[in-house]
Amino acid sequence: MNPYLEQCQVERQKRQTDPVDSADQQRRALEWQRFDECGWPNTRLEKWKYTSLSSLEKLALPTALVRDPGFVMGSQDFLRADGLVISWVDGQIDLENSSISELPAGVEILFWSTMTPDERDKFAQLLVQSRRLSALGALNGALLSEGVWIRVSPGACLEVPVFLIHQTSQSCAMHLAVVVEMAVQSQLTICERWMSTRDQPTHVNLVTAFHLAEYAQLTWIKAQQGGNGSYHTAGLWAALLGHAQLRLYPFGLAGSLVRHDIQVLLQQPRAECTIRGVYRVCDREMQDFHTSVEHLAPHCTSDECFKGVLDGSGKAVFNGQVRVALDAQKTQSQLANHNLLLSEKAEINTKPELEIFADDVRCSHGTTVGQLDENQWFYLRSRGIEMETARHLLVHAFTREISDAIPHAGIRDVMNQWLGDDCYGA
Amino acid sequence: MLQIKELTASVGDKEILKGINLNVNPGEIHAIMGPNGSGKSTLSNVLAGRENVTVTGGSLLWHDKNLLDMEIEERAREGIFLAFQYPVEIPGVGNVYLLKAALNAQRQHRGLPELDAMDFLALVKEKMKLMEMNESMLYRAVNEGFSGGEKKRNEILQMAVLEPELAILDETDSGLDIDALKIVSNGVNSLRSPTRSMILVTHYQRLLDYIKPDFVHVLAGGRIVRSGGPELAHELERDGYAWIAESGAYGVGL
Ligand SMILES: Nc1ncnc2c1ncn2[C@@H]1O[C@H](COP(=O)(O)OP(=O)(O)OP(=O)(O)O)[C@@H](O)[C@H]1O
Ligand SMILES: [Mg+2]
Repeated sequence: MNPYLEQCQVERQKRQTDPVDSADQQRRALEWQRFDECGWPNTRLEKWKYTSLSSLEKLALPTALVRDPGFVMGSQDFLRADGLVISWVDGQIDLENSSISELPAGVEILFWSTMTPDERDKFAQLLVQSRRLSALGALNGALLSEGVWIRVSPGACLEVPVFLIHQTSQSCAMHLAVVVEMAVQSQLTICERWMSTRDQPTHVNLVTAFHLAEYAQLTWIKAQQGGNGSYHTAGLWAALLGHAQLRLYPFGLAGSLVRHDIQVLLQQPRAECTIRGVYRVCDREMQDFHTSVEHLAPHCTSDECFKGVLDGSGKAVFNGQVRVALDAQKTQSQLANHNLLLSEKAEINTKPELEIFADDVRCSHGTTVGQLDENQWFYLRSRGIEMETARHLLVHAFTREISDAIPHAGIRDVMNQWLGDDCYGA
Repeated sequence: MLQIKELTASVGDKEILKGINLNVNPGEIHAIMGPNGSGKSTLSNVLAGRENVTVTGGSLLWHDKNLLDMEIEERAREGIFLAFQYPVEIPGVGNVYLLKAALNAQRQHRGLPELDAMDFLALVKEKMKLMEMNESMLYRAVNEGFSGGEKKRNEILQMAVLEPELAILDETDSGLDIDALKIVSNGVNSLRSPTRSMILVTHYQRLLDYIKPDFVHVLAGGRIVRSGGPELAHELERDGYAWIAESGAYGVGL
């Protein structure tokens, strides 16, 4: 057993002496057993071929129960938009810096730590598929430390986004879960931000489940901004009923190793899913996106585009699956992945995988790997623009198409800023 | 101020410039004409410092400094401006941002403070009026979706804002309608001064009716095969370039 898992064992023992919720203990035991059967991910497995967890294995990361007293909250000025803020430190809710004491009508927010045994049971059920996306999902089930359950009632349309702001104060591991249940015709925007404010080893192991009923609309934006030594593994599973719309905007901006497994099921006719993502790596960083969109009913639409910027010795993996079931006629699906390689040492493994069983469909996919455009480079420099600035401008321009697609103006502006200084207006 | 001596240059392993000699003094306007593929754009690019053109011999002096030792952006800041034959589209970078960054880079180089946003906008708007350009173009991405003529006007707008000492206009007139040609020429003429020089690359005499050159050169086969006054342009308009081949002036390899 590796040092990481040895520490996990210690954490398990701790949990078993918690005030007893026997059903919860039982679930954890089963999940641990399942994890044992799956085994720690290694590069001999197809899904982990290019992504090695060997450096995480060596870290014995405890679950943090008390925040480092020297910790100073990172600035939240970026929250120019009004919203409901749920602030987290080391994977625990920080109510003092949250703004959820008064919730708008139609939304309910529950935390795992204060749920009844009954609620925990339902919460776990809503996460079953999310936890099956990888062995780390089972580990999450065994070691879950906190979670949030957001329920939006029928017809409720939240005008302000819900922000989930995560920071860390020390070296630790966090096993967290998010469930969002969108009732019929409800609307919500969620924005997650993940920071590890100091360069200390941290591991976030996250599972997320989105359940969208008929005509529900959910927009989700995620900014992953980890420091040196930050590990982030996340499984996101979403199921859409008829006419539901899901928009996902994951931005992997920094982190030692970031892995996303995303699976979206379009279960009923006219469900729609849009995914616009960016990954950006520099020296010794790794980003891995495994996505899978399943068309299970006719007349559904999916449109996915990821852009990657790879610098230094950075590595990235993009694996985009689209499956179209036999009776999912009239499916429309697009899948694109474009990469900008800025260094000879950088590495990208990109693979679109289409499995189409229906015959009356419109599906397209395209992948590119390229360098900075020589003409644009020359043009900018011929106007007196410094090399570094020219490069920065062109890189930002490349990813800007993705951030510009974010519907919420406030969040879009911030994301543009994070992708590079604002280089559009004067 | 610009001295080109026996300049040879190649792209890949193809030699394109085969010994160019040209002196440009302050205030002078030189027109360069010549058949397609003769090396006019290559010469323009060499002056601006394009990296895919390799200088294989000769010398390039700018105010007695070796131009070949200077980076692309350094040349720009030292007052050399190239209006591209094919202006480049840069989606995602705003036109106004580029203008501002370029102007401030140059001001910084000259030890001047950055222009604040108000002064900058006032300056740009004044120059846009001169070019009869719609202000909305400022807020579009650089050249993206601009028509051919709009792109050319945008090049001259940049020139008007940057006020270079040497402007190289590579076929700025092609693709312009008759009215636009007048507007662009007016823009260029408004920048004429005893200290500012220009190299106009063109295929047509018409541009030279609006912007009177001091000298006209014929570039063919990588060499300047003839130089003269404005009357040479009229002659070329009438006779074309067939005489070059007949006279053997085209040189070896073409
Ligand atoms: N990147 C390149 N690779 C190969 N050949 C090139 C390249 N750039 C220019 N050339 C060649 O160099 C020669 C000179 O080209 P250049 O663009 O300088 O001509 P020009 O005189 O500007 O022509 P035009 O009047 O058509 O604009 C041409 O034969 C062209 O094909
Ligand atoms: Mg040319």
